[in-house]
Amino acid sequence: MDGGPSWQDKLKDQIPDELGREVDIFETQMELRRRGEVDERLFAETRLRRGVYGQRYDNGQRHDGTQNRPLEYRDHPTKGPETMWDAPGMVRIKIPYGAMTAEQIDVMAELSEDYSDGISHVTTRQDIQLHFVHIEDTPDMMRRLAAVGITTREACGNSVRNVTACHLAGVCKTETFDVTPYAEVLKEFLLGHPDVQDFGRKMKPAFSGCAQEACGLVNMHDIGYIAKTREVDGKVQRGFEFYVGGGLGAIPHPALLLTDFVSEEEMLPLTQAVCRVFARLGEKENRGRARIKFLVAKLGIEEFRKLVYEEREVLPHDPRWTSYIKDIADYAEVPVREPAPLETNGEHTPEFRAWYATNVRAQSQEGYAVATVKCPLGDLTADQMRDLADIARKFSGDNVRLTVEQNIVLRWVSEADLPKVHAALVAADLGAPGAETIADLTSCPGTDTCKLGIAASRGLVAELANHVGHLNGGTDPALKNLRIKASGCFNSCGQHHISDLGFYGISRKKGGRLVPHFQVVLGGKWVENGGSFGLATLAIPSKNIPTVVKRVTDRFLEEREPDETFTAFIGRLGKVEVKRFLQDLTEVPSFEEDPSYYSDWGDPRVFTMEDYGEGECAGEIVPMVEFGLQASEREVFEAQLYFDAGDMEKAKAMAYKAMLTAAQALVKTEFYDISDVPDQIVSEFKTRFHETQRFNDRFAGSKFASYLFQAHEVGGNGGRPEQARDRVQEAQLFIEAAYKCYERIGTAGAPA
Amino acid sequence: MSGTDSVIALTSPEISVKLFVTDDSVVRPLELIAVFHRWIKDDSLEDELVIDVANYEHVPQGPGIVLICDKAHYYFDVRHDRWGMRYRSRREARAVGQEAVARAFRSALHAASLLENDPALEGRYRFRTDQVEFGIYDRLRAPSTEDTLEAVRPALDATVEALYGAPAKGYALQSGPKEPFMVSIEAPGAPDVSELLGKVAATAG
Ligand code: SF4
Repeated sequence: MDGGPSWQDKLKDQIPDELGREVDIFETQMELRRRGEVDERLFAETRLRRGVYGQRYDNGQRHDGTQNRPLEYRDHPTKGPETMWDAPGMVRIKIPYGAMTAEQIDVMAELSEDYSDGISHVTTRQDIQLHFVHIEDTPDMMRRLAAVGITTREACGNSVRNVTACHLAGVCKTETFDVTPYAEVLKEFLLGHPDVQDFGRKMKPAFSGCAQEACGLVNMHDIGYIAKTREVDGKVQRGFEFYVGGGLGAIPHPALLLTDFVSEEEMLPLTQAVCRVFARLGEKENRGRARIKFLVAKLGIEEFRKLVYEEREVLPHDPRWTSYIKDIADYAEVPVREPAPLETNGEHTPEFRAWYATNVRAQSQEGYAVATVKCPLGDLTADQMRDLADIARKFSGDNVRLTVEQNIVLRWVSEADLPKVHAALVAADLGAPGAETIADLTSCPGTDTCKLGIAASRGLVAELANHVGHLNGGTDPALKNLRIKASGCFNSCGQHHISDLGFYGISRKKGGRLVPHFQVVLGGKWVENGGSFGLATLAIPSKNIPTVVKRVTDRFLEEREPDETFTAFIGRLGKVEVKRFLQDLTEVPSFEEDPSYYSDWGDPRVFTMEDYGEGECAGEIVPMVEFGLQASEREVFEAQLYFDAGDMEKAKAMAYKAMLTAAQALVKTEFYDISDVPDQIVSEFKTRFHETQRFNDRFAGSKFASYLFQAHEVGGNGGRPEQARDRVQEAQLFIEAAYKCYERIGTAGAPA
Repeated sequence: MSGTDSVIALTSPEISVKLFVTDDSVVRPLELIAVFHRWIKDDSLEDELVIDVANYEHVPQGPGIVLICDKAHYYFDVRHDRWGMRYRSRREARAVGQEAVARAFRSALHAASLLENDPALEGRYRFRTDQVEFGIYDRLRAPSTEDTLEAVRPALDATVEALYGAPAKGYALQSGPKEPFMVSIEAPGAPDVSELLGKVAATAG
């Protein structure tokens, strides 16, 4: 870019220092990677932790229907293994418990227009994803988000992901209490916490206000909390049922009960203990088995529980564990309109009545309601986002939440305003009825943009929407509340396991050609926090899936017993009968007979997996020590920049800091809980690496270690200004020596 | 906005030009998915590294069907309920000032011409040239204001003159303050897309 205006300057007074600094650091890391000074694997994990993902075809290969063709991106360094720098990617913006203000929605609209393709995509974990984003744009995007209080930090990578919670928390009639402030506290506590930086894979937390509804989906989360109270000495005590080890993926695991009551005082320390056990004992080498569910399964819940409670016993006290409790009672949302009942004089339009029947829920607060905006495939245009922000300002205030069904809710709508809200939503093309019904289908991005996608889940769901659309408004009550969900592959981001009719993408061969298929999973339980998983039945060609839906729902209507749920019906039918019943739909005609079977929904190319890329949902497993060493490199780079700008004091201080960071990284390989206190770092480093001569260079002996000791002695930025150049160079040599030392101890079996 | 600001607005890489179809009723957006995939296979868009096709047909008044390129997006979009071909450059500015405007016109006209002449579409898609939407998706350099319009007017004037052989009949700011800068150009005539394409090819260099 030229010397025009910059977002960094424009927003400098609006970005909190810490967030601004994080973005600056990321920009520096990008620059170092561009120069080839940071390893691609390390950089990949760094950007993933900031929510900057790869996207389909970023490996520079794309099949055009007849052949695989290279996409000739410019010859930059890669931004990860087999990931071209110039290839557009996806940015995941985590929205804690889905809560957004009108201002944030406006900014999201701008970002989608300025950096993406004009679409904000709501995910099944209350995030927003923007696609086709260029990496150069990500720092400004992060700044613009930071200016309205959103960070993308730890939106991806092997870290704690978005903390989700019921979108009705605080306004729901069935909840025990509002879990929102607890979700907020957990998010703050875990963000950047040292105990969550060394996971083998991601960890997804979820909160639910009750056990019976679906919204929190605790049963499929790595760690989950269901609100609960008990009476102690005549006083009501708040706490949670605490679950661990749930997860979908290829092998779904229901979450197991760690304890049936963890008090609000113990919620954070117990979570911290879980994280430490997972970081210490979780799988690191084999990504496919690195989620906490595998650790819990391997150890057994009793042993896992024992380890967690032992860990809890020895945790050093942290005042944050309980300091938040005094403020919980102060948490409140502010409506912008007075409560008032809906006029029921019978003059409402049929459109309003249909919308009201499916998209409106009365709140626990009299006179207020929650209005759901149904977003097809989770997508909204920038214009719709702006309209939504304006509607929120007028009718609900900053009380907007994203839902795990890829919708958006406006909370605290005065019931009397509902007709006006509906009219405004209709004007914005957001007033469709059928929210949270069979007509409200869910899909992950699938082959549209995901590197791991096998089949076109979005294409399928768009097609199915045409078939089930007539059920809008619940004309058939038995079908009305069923859920249809599709994923592009077994990773289950579309949450197909817990839907009534679930599908995930696979491929099969016929006559030497690949045919897109979906595995049909029937009878999963959406309620009770995603209470049970469906029955995997048959692999059926994509083009026959609409017939599957029709046939299965017809039979359900014909044969269900009074009040029998779909889950129970499928259970009663059994796998053998379901297979028999659908078997003929597995047939694939030859290519000559019907070539349409050999293309996927919404994609006319002949189906192939030749351009299939390596996924990076979880990133590489990068040991903590490598992060530390990388941070030290970035710091020494910044020291050099200070030096070049003539700021000798800062140059010296930053060079010293870089040495401390590198030393701390090495110490962490043996002493994980090393603090950030310089005296402790230097002392531990001295004992463990200097005095044992493990840091010594073959030729220079202990010279490099002495650079740290000397700088430490003069207190970082001490010494004469002219010494700045030496300090920066010494830091570079020290970091080099630290890398060599790490290589040596690594090959000797250092803990990763 | 000062003269310097005009340079700033048109240094933005995020310039768009949209040509509207003459008849919305002929549009069947989903058929364009196959057309765009074929364009990729046939390298129909010179100068572009084309990456993929995105389908947003399910979103009302949305981006429609999008041809995603390395340095541009080609939307067959339906924003404000009007179908049309929108070229939108991205990333690095390949040109600045009037040259940037002319290049954007050329790319939009080229894509429109491909659609008009695509055998699979049987000549159903025709584009009007008497009204064109020009935009800049860059709130820093080109906020949605009359000042920005004044700043870019000389470059628009020069481009319109070069293409149509006469000055524009008028310009109207279309975008609200929160939207990206969009201006409707009322052109002095309605020549064929192919005619304009011939003229702009010389101008855009
Ligand atoms: S389920 Fe598979 S295709 Fe869908 S987003 Fe997840 S990894 Fe990608």
